Amino acid sequence: MTPMWYIVLATVLFSIGAVGVLIRRNAIVLFMCIELMLNAANLALVTFSRINGTLDGQIMAFFAMVVAAAEVVIGLAIIMLIFRTRRSASVDDANLLKY
Amino acid sequence: MPELKLPDIDYAALLPMLILFGAACVGVLIEGFVPRSVRNMVQLVLSLAAMVAALVFVIRRAGEVTAENAATIGGAIMIDNMGLFMEGALLVLGLVSLLLFGERTLERGGAFVPHAAVTVGSERDREQAVDSGATEVYPLALFSLGGMLMFVTANDLLTMFVALEVFSLPLYLMCALARRKRLLSQESALKYFLLGAYASAFFLFGVAMIYGFAKGVDFRAIHEAVRGSETSPTLLLIGLALVAIGLLFKIAAAPFHVWTPDVYQGAPTPVTAFMAACTKAAAFGALLRVLYVGFDGAKWHFTPVLGAVAVLTMLVGAVLAVTQTDLKRLLAYSSVANAGYLMVGLLGGNKDGLSSTLFYLVAYGFTVIAAFALVSLVRDADGEATHLSRWAGLGRRSPLFAGIFTFLLLAFAGIPLTSGFMAKFGVFGAAIAGDQTWLVIFGVLTSIVLAFPYLRVVVMMWLSEPGETTPSVSIPGVLTSAVLGIGTVATLLLGVLPGPLLELADQASSFIR
Amino acid sequence: MSLSAYIPIVGLFALAAAFGLFSVAIAPFVGPRRFNRAKLDAYECGIEPTPQPIGGGRFPVKFYLTAMLFIIFDIEIIFLYPWAVSFDMLGLFGFVEMVLFIVAVFVAYTYVWRRGGLDWD
Repeated sequence: MTPMWYIVLATVLFSIGAVGVLIRRNAIVLFMCIELMLNAANLALVTFSRINGTLDGQIMAFFAMVVAAAEVVIGLAIIMLIFRTRRSASVDDANLLKY
Repeated sequence: MPELKLPDIDYAALLPMLILFGAACVGVLIEGFVPRSVRNMVQLVLSLAAMVAALVFVIRRAGEVTAENAATIGGAIMIDNMGLFMEGALLVLGLVSLLLFGERTLERGGAFVPHAAVTVGSERDREQAVDSGATEVYPLALFSLGGMLMFVTANDLLTMFVALEVFSLPLYLMCALARRKRLLSQESALKYFLLGAYASAFFLFGVAMIYGFAKGVDFRAIHEAVRGSETSPTLLLIGLALVAIGLLFKIAAAPFHVWTPDVYQGAPTPVTAFMAACTKAAAFGALLRVLYVGFDGAKWHFTPVLGAVAVLTMLVGAVLAVTQTDLKRLLAYSSVANAGYLMVGLLGGNKDGLSSTLFYLVAYGFTVIAAFALVSLVRDADGEATHLSRWAGLGRRSPLFAGIFTFLLLAFAGIPLTSGFMAKFGVFGAAIAGDQTWLVIFGVLTSIVLAFPYLRVVVMMWLSEPGETTPSVSIPGVLTSAVLGIGTVATLLLGVLPGPLLELADQASSFIR
Repeated sequence: MSLSAYIPIVGLFALAAAFGLFSVAIAPFVGPRRFNRAKLDAYECGIEPTPQPIGGGRFPVKFYLTAMLFIIFDIEIIFLYPWAVSFDMLGLFGFVEMVLFIVAVFVAYTYVWRRGGLDWD
């Protein structure tokens, strides 16, 4: 099986995440979609690592995972902060800032 | 036992970054161990000292850069003249905006909330209203600034991605820390975070595509792969587009600008000043390096697209600035338009384009920090009065501050004898030399449009009678006065005597590949 | 020996799987639906399905804090793993770098500890 299929899968996952961010309304779900995009990038990195025959891609996936974890913590902290005041995590309710 | 080849690390060259990160770690420890009453003073002194020390080492490094000693940590960081200039510029702008963080006389306890985790409107929230503000902002700002230094000197896309996150994550948090209008502040943090994380996911996927194309992510490998590309450039183009989206988001170029007005308005004003000056400079530094060092072989592919983005950015920024009623939002859209002008210089594609972009970044940084410092002065019982109508008649109330603000707005508009004129002149000239005249035409047209909202504020301040609701201008403390003074004098000096900085930028406008 | 001898077994598996899927899929359509309190009870063990509090059964925020702290410190291990595998090759340089890394993590830990992030109440 050619590794190119993994790239296709990564692209599909990335697209699902990217579209999900645009159409979903719950901040947590949005955030999960972003995580999906990051993981799709990890999959692509690891696959290219295999195709290229170098280990760099796998190391990069490590870094991406750590960065993603840091992002999760900060993101959930901000979402929690908003949720505790508004009792809602919908991004449509966050509408004080406009025009 | 096999030995790995260890990377050589030039600690002297990395010292500015190490100092900032080290001081940030010490700052975190101070948060844990130093009593609350003296924390603000200790943190402020520590972070200022760290920035000054880092700046000293940047200056000492100047002139010692050679093609051999520029790359370090196995080529992950490239401290060439360009990188060194950006480091110095970021440190100076960061230093000036950090003074705003320390201001405590305008509001009891400063501009930041004591405990951000306390629910808005709760009993404890009312209790903490007079408490001393959170001092975590200082380590956060240091981490962020250190990340920016790493961002502009990163020599491969992975380092750039990590640096992007290191400077963005603290910014997301700092946005949520405003003392007044906490809901707005939290909302701006949420929006900034979600969109920022979205953009960085694009960036990372782009990195993966580039890795697939070039079999490596350092700029030299990418450059060689682009040059000697026999394979189809599909991966290259997808990767470059995705990486560019990540970077264009940070410089607030349309159509990736939608976060800018909300975040600029909702964030605490000192943080807004920091973002407007430093984030923009850092993102442009990185974008220049990516395009000029890594992908200059693909110039024919990206120049038309980025040209269209630049035109759109200038148009969106200028036209929407006209419709704004909030001063911070107005400045945000002006910052979007300025990103467009900077891109014009960048797309000039020549040495002049580089040096004029560098000059523009510094000149704009000083002006915008001073402008936000002034915004933080005009207050009423609810905190800052940023609605435009509240500024009517301010010229009669306090002619000095209205005069300074008028001068800064004229600098934004690019009136001669201000730094704004020299900066715009530089980027437009470089773009004409680089055969991008169509960008310059749009640039001049949008500048005219953009002058309108600035002049409207000026007219309102001077020609209206102050009403009952016109807020008073607070007497600034030492720190804000210093920021105002530095920003205004720099705006004037760079307009009258731009020579030294132009020369410096000219010397800095070369990359080492 | 040919593999064809196993074909009946494969057929049996397929039949079993099909029967299982069929039963599960058909039950909601043909089965009677009669409410019975005992049906909702937990079987032998587990949490009683009590009416949820207003806002839909939320965990105390303490869990969130602990989980976040866990993620932060847990993910650091990712860098320790490759280092441990190639410890011999990296030598003293790798050791010193890793100590610095752990010190940096420890700074964050100290902050959490001093500011009460580890207190349960």
